[in-house]
Amino acid sequence: MRFQPRAKGVAVTFAAEEVEVLRSLARQLTGVLDGGVPDHGTDAVRDRLFPRAYVDPTEDRAERDFQSVVHEDLVRAKSDAAQTLIDGLDHGRPRRSGTEVVLSGVELEQWTGALNDMRLALGVAIGVTEDMDETSEEASSAGFALYDWLTYLQGELVEVVIDGFE
Amino acid sequence: MIAGTVPSTIEAPVDETVLGTATPWLVIVWNDPVNLQNYVVMVFRKLFGYSLEKATKLMLEVHHDGKSVVAHGTREKAEIDVARLHAHGLWATMERDRA
Repeated sequence: MRFQPRAKGVAVTFAAEEVEVLRSLARQLTGVLDGGVPDHGTDAVRDRLFPRAYVDPTEDRAERDFQSVVHEDLVRAKSDAAQTLIDGLDHGRPRRSGTEVVLSGVELEQWTGALNDMRLALGVAIGVTEDMDETSEEASSAGFALYDWLTYLQGELVEVVIDGFE
Repeated sequence: MIAGTVPSTIEAPVDETVLGTATPWLVIVWNDPVNLQNYVVMVFRKLFGYSLEKATKLMLEVHHDGKSVVAHGTREKAEIDVARLHAHGLWATMERDRA
């Protein structure tokens, strides 16, 4: 993975296997998103992607109303972002070292959002914690290596978005 | 209600449009181990138009205190803010301001 600044964004070159990993994770995310209004407490990954709005259990009715109003839009926004990422990879420019994807504007923001959702889903699945011992056996697993790689990619892209704010 | 029973006290439904900002709702963002600090700052600036300083201060509150009140207003406004935060993957909830 290589980053090159562009006038209003960034060009990222992904190796062939990185393209496949991203595409696969984006497709998996789309599958997780697609499951109807969340039934909280039954699926930890979906609970994290679609949290409750109301903490107070006496607001259960307001919670149901909230979910019924926003859920469809939320799924659409997240699915669109994941699809933007897949489309970006599909339309990337072939380079000797892999595929170059040029990102700016809305597309760049959608990539940061899709990568965030992919990290949320993966993070819950592999049990990422705040004070994780990075030298532990668990932290050296393939899932964590992938998670760290996504974290690096997202962090770099967020910096590019922030540069655009200034 | 069964005919003939009279409740000793009658509670009028709370009209939130009358109470308005007198009982605001708080929009709270909770700490989680996944969201990146720079991403959270970016989202606060983008959604609420906060300065870099204010967005950073709120992000650090979330990080160190476990949560932070990032916005407040009517129930309707709070629901919109929570939905926008959820769209960006932040763990946001809302509750009545009891202070």
